[in-house]
Amino acid sequence: MNSRRWNWHLWAGFVVCLVAFASYFFVFVRFPVARDVPWANFLLFGTGIAFLSFGLKRAFGQSQQYRGKVAGSILSLLSLISVGFFCFLIFYQTRQLPASAGAPRIGQRAPEFVLPDSDNNPVSLSSLLSTPLPNSQAPPKGVLLVFYRGYW
Amino acid sequence: MSRDLRKKAGYTYTFLSDPKAEVIRRYDLLHPGAGVNGQDIARPAEFLLDSSGAVRWANLTEDFRVRARPEQVMEAAEALK
Repeated sequence: MNSRRWNWHLWAGFVVCLVAFASYFFVFVRFPVARDVPWANFLLFGTGIAFLSFGLKRAFGQSQQYRGKVAGSILSLLSLISVGFFCFLIFYQTRQLPASAGAPRIGQRAPEFVLPDSDNNPVSLSSLLSTPLPNSQAPPKGVLLVFYRGYW
Repeated sequence: MSRDLRKKAGYTYTFLSDPKAEVIRRYDLLHPGAGVNGQDIARPAEFLLDSSGAVRWANLTEDFRVRARPEQVMEAAEALK
């Protein structure tokens, strides 16, 4: 029976790459410093690829002692695909936004609107601008309008 | 945003609902078909208005992962005083 050793670096590298991918969406998106530029994920991918490279070197360079030529090739390909897909999402997909050239610019009046709040009461922009806050007499100094992406 | 979800999350500011994306369109923020199930949604945007309703600061992010940080908004709000 063939007693070549299990090439664990290949598997570790692959798992680390999977973690590198998934952790962005489950963990690092919560922290702007790690979300805007995904440093943590790049580090993880780098680590995963390092493990895979080491494992491949052993599989092909010391093939009498280590297994993993086929597994290593497949795992490395899958890992490269995960890196590629991650970069596609992060550097391309999230930038695909409409031009919104007609959005109000600095100096322009923001268009009036009336929309229901979470209790279904109609709220107008003019009322937001004129109704004093609970513990004050004067109208607010301003209003921040936030348009969220998505749908509840 | 549903009343229950809002209570649970503890948000005190006003949430408004624009189910037909009318206001989204009025502000030219429509992102057609970009919703999870292909619905039309808004692209993210923030506008700071002064008491006359004029835009003093606007943030239309080029990358929907990158949003204005609270500090940036507070800095813009300071200028309104």
